[in-house]
Formats: sequence, structure tokens, C-alpha cells
Amino acid sequence: MYTYICENSIDGILTGVYNAYADKHSHREIHLTVREPKNLSLFTQYLPVETDSEKAAKVARTLKARFGQDFYETIYQAAMAGDVPGKNTMDKADAIYETIALALASGDGTKTLLSLGEPCVFRVFELCRATGREAMHLLGFVRFQELENGILFSKIHPNHHVLPILGEHFSDRLPEENFMIYDENRRLALLHPSREHFFLADADKLDLYATERFSANEAQFQNLWVTFFHSITIDARKNPKLQSQMIPKRFQRDTVEFQAF
Amino acid sequence: MELTIQSDLMEKLAILTDAAKYDVACTSSGVDRKGKGHGIGNSVAAGICHSFAGDGRCISLLKILMTNHCIYNCSYCQNNCNNDLPRATFTPEEICTLVTEFYRRNYIEGLFLSSGIIDSPNHTMELLFQTLYLLRTRYDFNGYIHVKAIPGADPRLIDLIGHLADRMSINLELPTAESLRTLAPCKSRKTILGPMRQIQNGIRAYRELPTHELTSVNRTLPEVVRLSNGDPNRKSFVPAGQSTQMIIGATPESDYQIIKVAESLYDRFELKRVFYSAFVNVTGNSELPTLPGGPPLLREHRLYQADWLLRYYHFQADELLSADRPDFNIYLDPKCDWALRHLEQFPVEINRAPYRMLLRVPGIGYLSARRIIAARRSNRLDFSDLKKIGVVLKRAIYFITCNGHTMYPIRMDEDYITRQLLSDQTQIPKEIRNAGYEQLSLFDTGFSGTNTAIS
Repeated sequence: MYTYICENSIDGILTGVYNAYADKHSHREIHLTVREPKNLSLFTQYLPVETDSEKAAKVARTLKARFGQDFYETIYQAAMAGDVPGKNTMDKADAIYETIALALASGDGTKTLLSLGEPCVFRVFELCRATGREAMHLLGFVRFQELENGILFSKIHPNHHVLPILGEHFSDRLPEENFMIYDENRRLALLHPSREHFFLADADKLDLYATERFSANEAQFQNLWVTFFHSITIDARKNPKLQSQMIPKRFQRDTVEFQAF
Repeated sequence: MELTIQSDLMEKLAILTDAAKYDVACTSSGVDRKGKGHGIGNSVAAGICHSFAGDGRCISLLKILMTNHCIYNCSYCQNNCNNDLPRATFTPEEICTLVTEFYRRNYIEGLFLSSGIIDSPNHTMELLFQTLYLLRTRYDFNGYIHVKAIPGADPRLIDLIGHLADRMSINLELPTAESLRTLAPCKSRKTILGPMRQIQNGIRAYRELPTHELTSVNRTLPEVVRLSNGDPNRKSFVPAGQSTQMIIGATPESDYQIIKVAESLYDRFELKRVFYSAFVNVTGNSELPTLPGGPPLLREHRLYQADWLLRYYHFQADELLSADRPDFNIYLDPKCDWALRHLEQFPVEINRAPYRMLLRVPGIGYLSARRIIAARRSNRLDFSDLKKIGVVLKRAIYFITCNGHTMYPIRMDEDYITRQLLSDQTQIPKEIRNAGYEQLSLFDTGFSGTNTAIS
């Protein structure tokens, strides 16, 4: 048996896929993982994978060319997933590797993602859906605060690596703003300078102290929003359980309107 | 922002939000529009919910009235001219500031602007137009706008504003002309359906319009104002379509009458959505029902379920209810109720049934139906596959076979299946169940008896 230990990123996993194919072992003997193995088993060879963006790009090109953009995007979005609870605990990298192997081996790989009966395909589907759902939520639940220097700043705590999806959305929506979304769980920041493309940066290099100094008008607009938020409720229909079901507590902590005023 | 905020803006916002909240349309859906590379805003067809209010309803748009002054005396409406309550009016600039500042903080997806009637329908409509014009030009706002058309306003004003808004709506308010006469004497079917027809024709004309060609009214607007969806040569008119709302429970109409009206609005006026608003007696008017058990939420819920069956599941109103059975079953959703009355059409073989038939199976939604069609091309499906696809098996198992077999031995017997389905707690959503026992007992009394008799 051969276990490839990949970096937890799309490039890391696709490099692992590249290496696994290049080494020409039998598929049944290959596993990929993004975790450090807890118990080493005796007859397994552990192969650390050094992330190589060129190898990853080659795999990505092949997937897009042979199975279409949608296939690649599903894989990409699955690779961004964090832990997804469920009965199926197949490692993310393993599920992606097996799904790709299945598609490459079948006559028409564009249909592979429909075979939800295959455990690996179902796992990819679950991971992709979990990331997509959280990203969808955050497109609405992200809250920007205007800092002293005019930058719009937002802090989030997502389960999955959703910053690239948020980046595409908000760059199109707020092209002239300087904004920053900080994923505190991953200590990663998305930065968007006015009229430029966004990029991701390690938060260690950022001056997070500046993110606590707000502009003169910020408090007033927050108060106006909270006023609106409370006035829009129909008291005769009050239903806090439904409210918490629709905007779960883990999102509430990062919004203005759910803070105690 | 070098703007100083007047101290009374907060108060105005509180008053004019409170005055707008009984309008239930809140979606920001129906149009995909990329950003322009300048200004702010884009639009996502699926719509985005930004928060959820204390009543659990989605907050997507800044839903406010321009003013809550009103010359009309509709008795169900808290803003009616005989009601003694604080009144306020926004200036167009105030609205633009609120929209853009809320939008850049990602509080909202856009603006929902309605209004009481100040002076005259035309004057009111002009104020709405000025606000939208300012927002689209000086504030360069490219996000979602839903605006009310004021019944009785000049058609030219409606045409102008339709070029600035994503969605327009005129509320039908009440399902029959007679109820409208009683409760809203200043409005009539004619002043409501007239603009609705006009907007429908406008949307149609633009859909069929060759690129480059513009209507005469559109030509009078400066280039920057007109909305274009991606293709700069293609201008649009109310691209997200129009919607309307009916108040449920203020007047004696049956569910059958209500969904028949909804059906004809979809068929004859090509509406995108009909919204149903459970009546809340805010005016304390003695001619209106008092509803001690709270607003008729379960009835509203059943109407929305039926509405989905009309729009996405190819059901006809006459299949769901009839003059003899005029109201929905409170214990079962409309689709289960229909299926139980048509057991001769079941069970359905998952690996062979046509799409339209799959749609009629309780527990199979349109997404699951599509996934079944796609997946069965390559594999024969069994029950474990269906579960993965997202089919709700606890409802579906009585109505389906996989490869000729049901999941368990099942008697195709109405009483037996009804009992099984009733043990499924989700038939009445948790939120409504939790709202208390009165809710249900109130409904019981409102029913004709035939539906509630469950053996």
C-alpha cells in the first residue's frame, strides 16, 4: 500500500493525484490523505507530496478538457471543504482521487458525478455541497465595517475555505471599494484593492490592530441597521426558533444585528 | 462619507419600516446582472438572504415606505388615513444614502420601495421615480430594486419607472372584487389590474424587441439610467418580472377561490410570484376578524405549498381543490392529500416513470426528480440511491417501487397510508406546531368538516 500525504489545498491534492499516476502503482494500492496519519500501518509506504502548482495545473487542465468545467468546479469546491460530519468519513483527498480515477477509467467521464451510488462520488458531492451551502450563506451574512482609513473590513469563522468564492462575488459587487475579509479560523485574509483583482494573504503579515478603529459614521449606520432589523419584525408572528434555524448561531456571532446593544 | 446624519433619520426609519413590514414580498431573485466595474452593485438570480428577523422571515431588501401619509382608508391597513399614528416621509436623498451605505456593508441586497398615497397616485409615483432615478444615476447603484406601482397612476410614469426597477408589484390585496369594495373602497380591480396588464405587455415587448431598438419612452431616459443585463445593447424592462400579494384571512374567501385567482394571475398575467400574507389585525377595526390564535400561519403555509405545486410541479388548481372541497387539509400537505385521493396512479416505478409523474410523488422534489432522471440513465436505482439523491423516503415509500419492489410490504389502502403519513411530524412544520394549540383549534373551526375527518 502507498499513502500520499498531501497539503490541504486544491493544488496539494491535485499534485498528489499527479504523483500517484506518475508512480504507476495499482489503483487499489493507493490512498491519498490531507491529514497526518495517526496510526502508521506496517505494510504501508508513506509518501509526503510536495505541492507543485505546475503538476496541479496539468491535472486541472486534463479534468476541464475531458470532463468539462462543471466537473472541475465540483472537485475544486470539494477540495475547499473542511470537516463534514456524516457516516461517510472517507478522506477528502482519497474521495477526489478515486472519483478522478473512476472518470478517467470510464467511457464517458462527464457522467461520473451522477453515480452517487459510488461512495467516493457521493463523498465529493457531499463535500462540494457543504462548501457551496456555507458560501451561499456567507454571501448574505458577511458584514463589513468601515474602518478609519475607509477600508471595509469583515471577520468570519467559516467551516470551509470559502474565501475564493466570496472574493469573486464581492469584487464584482463592490469594484471601487477597498475591502478585506478575514477568515479567523484559517488566519487567512482576502484583500481587494479598489479596481484591482483580489488576492489571499497570510494574516500574520497584517496589522489587525487597525481593524478595530472605525470611521466616524460607522456607529451611526450600525445603529440605523439595528433599528431597521428590529422594526421589520411582525410581533404577532414572533418565532425565535425559526430565526435561529435560518441564521444559525455560528453566523450570528459575526453580524452586527445579533450583538447585544 | 462626509455626510452628517440628521438625528431624526433614525426615527423616520423606525416609522417607515414598521409601516412597510406587512408587505410579505421580500425576495431579491429573478435577475442575474454582473457589476459594471464602477459604482456599486450586481444581482444574483437565486436571490440572497442577508438576515432573518425575529419572526423568522428573510431580510433581503431594505423594505420601507417613501411615506406613511395616506389619503386612502383601506380598513385592513395600519397606514389608513383614519388611523392615529406617527407619520413620516423620507427624502429621495435619505433613501439613497441608506441604500448605498447599507449595501456596501452587505446588510442588504437592494431596495424594496413602497408608499402610502400622498396627495395623489401620480404625485406619489413621481416621488418613487425621483428616488430610483437618483439612485441609478448619481449614486450609480446597480443592485436590486423592487418598487410598487401605485394603482391609478399615469401609465407613462409606470413605464418610466419600469426601466429603473428589477421587479414591480401591485398588490391585489384581496382575492375578490367584492372584498376589495368592502375593505378598500378607494381601490378597485380595474386600477389594480390595469397597471398589471401594462407591465406584462412592457415585459413582453422588451423580450421580443430586437437589440438596439428602444421604445419612445425609453429613449427619453439618459443612457446611464437604463438597466442592461450584460449585453449593453439589450435594455430591459422589469427584468425580474412582477409579483403581487393577497391578504389571507381578513375576508371569507376559501382556499379554492384564492388558488384559482393565483392560477389565473400566473396564466393570464405571467406573474413571477403571488405572495400570501396571513392577516394581522393591526387597526383594531371591529369589522375585521380578531384572530385570537394569532395570524393564520398554517393556512398561509398550505397556500404557499399549493402555489409551488402550481408553478413547479405542473398541478392545476382544480386538481387540488374543488367547490365541494374548498379548503386544504390541515394535517397533510396538498401533494400528499392529492396522492391519497389518486392511489390508482401509484405506485410509480422509479426507473421508468416520466419526469412529470415523478414530480407528483410525495417526498420527491423537482431537484430530486431531475437527479433521478440523470442518474437512472447509467444505473438502475434502488432505495439507498434515492436517499442519497435527497428523496424524503418516509413520505415517498408508499408511492414508489424500485425495480418492481416496494421498500416494505405496503397495502395500497387509503386509511392505512393516511395513518402512516400522519405519524410524520413534518406534515405540520415545527415552527407552526410550536406556535401553540390555539392555532390548530382555530383552524378546525374554520373547516367545512369534510377535510378534517381523518379515519
